[in-house]
Amino acid sequence: MFGKSSAVQTMARAFAAHAAARQATVARNISNADTPGFRAAEVAGFAETYEDAGTFALRTTRAGHVGAGRATVEAAVRARPGEAAPNGNTVSIEREMLAAAEARQQHDMALAITRSLGGVIRTSLGRRS
Amino acid sequence: MADLLQSLAHAASGMEAQSRRIRHVTENIANADTPGYRRKTVEFRADPDGAGVRLGALRLDPRPLPMIYDPAHPLADETGHHQGSNVDMVLEIADAREAQRSYEANLRMFDQARQMTASLLELLRR
Repeated sequence: MFGKSSAVQTMARAFAAHAAARQATVARNISNADTPGFRAAEVAGFAETYEDAGTFALRTTRAGHVGAGRATVEAAVRARPGEAAPNGNTVSIEREMLAAAEARQQHDMALAITRSLGGVIRTSLGRRS
Repeated sequence: MADLLQSLAHAASGMEAQSRRIRHVTENIANADTPGYRRKTVEFRADPDGAGVRLGALRLDPRPLPMIYDPAHPLADETGHHQGSNVDMVLEIADAREAQRSYEANLRMFDQARQMTASLLELLRR
């Protein structure tokens, strides 16, 4: 009954988790903004990780199979290329601020989708949304 | 949620490190005219477990102390010189500015992670 919307919900959950992982990475970079030799990290884009998860996740080859839970996508963290300061640090506060704003916007979007899906399900059950 | 709480911890460790740095800068500036004072520096290290930043041991700047000519000074030797401090004001001010900038960036990250947690919990309240 809620097949389609639960798939969207799973994706929205993964999207929110990905945004949180990005936020954690940005916070870690900024906390090490003045650490000599620290290499800034970044999280791979959502499209890449979500696609990647498909390779390793449970597959649904029959209609009766339990839906593969993709919400526990491990966000791939990799080193961010960039110019290093004389002390070997590659963190740029400006770039981190941009990444933080993107993470915030992505998280808000994921929550908005989840909220509106909740409304759709409630409406289909005949309750006031 | 765990990631968001972790980013709060990262930001907090960053703020702690930067405030410790500011503290040493103010100690250095306060002692800029203290004879024989060596400026304090503290080393930043990335936490091996990935939990933000850790502070290394406090170190004293090994640069040679300048000899100041002042025969009237109680510490002056037979040639009329005494040791000054190796605090460089320009360096300290630049350090303080950098620490302040990084502290503010950490604070903003803390605030943003807190707001994201709050909006996540807002979903449950409906």
